[in-house]
Amino acid sequence: MFDYTVITNNIGLLWQGLLMTLYFTVITISAGLVLGLFIGLIQLSTFRPLVIFGQIYVEFFRNIPLLVTLLWVYYAFPIFAGVNVTKFWAGFIGLSCYVGSFYAEILRAGVLSVDPGQTDAATAIGMSYGQRMRRIILPQAFKKMIPPLAGQSIIQMKNTTLLSTITVPDLLYQAGYISSFTYRPMEIYTAVGGIFLVILVPLTLLSRKLEKSGALAK
Amino acid sequence: MNMPSATSPAIHENATREILQLHRICLQFGAKHVLKGVDLSVKEGEVVVLIGASGSGKTSLLRCINLLNTPTSGGIVIDEEVLFHKEAGGQRQTMISAQETNRIRSSTGMVFQQFNLFPHMTALENVMEGPVIVKKQSKEQACKRALELLGLMGLEEHVSKYPRQLSGGQQQRVAIARAMAMQPKVMLFDEPTSALDPELVGEVMKAMVELAKRGMTMVIVTHELGFAFEIADRVVFLDQGLVAEQGPPDKILLHPEHPRLKSFVGRFHESADLLRPFLEARQAEKS
Repeated sequence: MFDYTVITNNIGLLWQGLLMTLYFTVITISAGLVLGLFIGLIQLSTFRPLVIFGQIYVEFFRNIPLLVTLLWVYYAFPIFAGVNVTKFWAGFIGLSCYVGSFYAEILRAGVLSVDPGQTDAATAIGMSYGQRMRRIILPQAFKKMIPPLAGQSIIQMKNTTLLSTITVPDLLYQAGYISSFTYRPMEIYTAVGGIFLVILVPLTLLSRKLEKSGALAK
Repeated sequence: MNMPSATSPAIHENATREILQLHRICLQFGAKHVLKGVDLSVKEGEVVVLIGASGSGKTSLLRCINLLNTPTSGGIVIDEEVLFHKEAGGQRQTMISAQETNRIRSSTGMVFQQFNLFPHMTALENVMEGPVIVKKQSKEQACKRALELLGLMGLEEHVSKYPRQLSGGQQQRVAIARAMAMQPKVMLFDEPTSALDPELVGEVMKAMVELAKRGMTMVIVTHELGFAFEIADRVVFLDQGLVAEQGPPDKILLHPEHPRLKSFVGRFHESADLLRPFLEARQAEKS
């Protein structure tokens, strides 16, 4: 039978795991957004070498499985570079670079979807490149970017479970630990699935709502 | 309504000064020669209308004036400041920083066929954007002048509406106010009524005539030859990337010399002739 006490007795460990998952979700999304903005804008520039650099970055991280990236940063990179990389830094770098490449593509597509007439109009009143981007293009692009950004961020939260493979004590890692001494994987992993549903379903609904209001605002 | 300061009444006293000079403007897209050395100068307070068949380079020429299109070669001087200069086949000779380019460019105001208002800003914010962000004016000052200009365009009631809440004609008048807010020395109009429903064309034309009366220097690309006749001091006929004929509106539109201008204007006369019975019929109905 389903034994709830397995969950309630270990709620502290699950809570710690959840906090770790949320923590990594937030910091890697934040870093990813900064990276994505940077790489996305680089790809939109007219300076060829920068554009190529941006393309290489995006294709590199989008085409290597995230699990491989994480394991490589944690186990292989320290040997190449001769530096010590903690599991937290490895997880942070791997997840941020990965999601940054997706954000960069979303940003690029968003900016390109803005009517070129807007650039003309902003240029005609004497705005510089930076002013155009900040005041005219990005605010409009961002509205169109909300749904894909929300979608990618939800995927990012799910992807943090891969951190357990490099022994970062996230929700999934704690679940594995609990089931190793309770021998009740059914209850524990059901709970983990439930927790993700409880957090992500409302966020998905919220992003849909934002998408609708964004569509109306256009 | 007070006069916007860019269009002071003193302008006509000094009407011989050339405010815009284009020297041998060439523009090439790949193998396509769009402009083949256009010379054009515009005097202060003058209204110049560019006409020509589609593909004759009217819009391209207009977009070259504020460097939305960079000419392949040629020279652009706006109020004695060199905005662009490049010899044919040579390097860009006059190096102007991006900052300078933006500053000189903002001494021209441009109105687009598709209005291109900023959809995330109200009418008032659209007009204030340039003065506040580019010219670093205080918000109060910019707001005061923006309200003045929107009033001049007959939009007092619509200042806090978003572009999507306005009709095409209203949007275009906001766009004119937005361009005027930068106190331009020349206003450029790129087919400003082509995207409008027929019943909205008149209000935009009226606003433009109002600007012309106030002494604004204007370069207008339009297909509305009747409007050209009414507003222009000079009509310039572009054909295959060159100025084929230019002169006062009655000469160009009523007594053209160039064969292609003859056929171009001929079609205008024909369509006017075709419409006449309908117009007369409508008049008869009314009376």
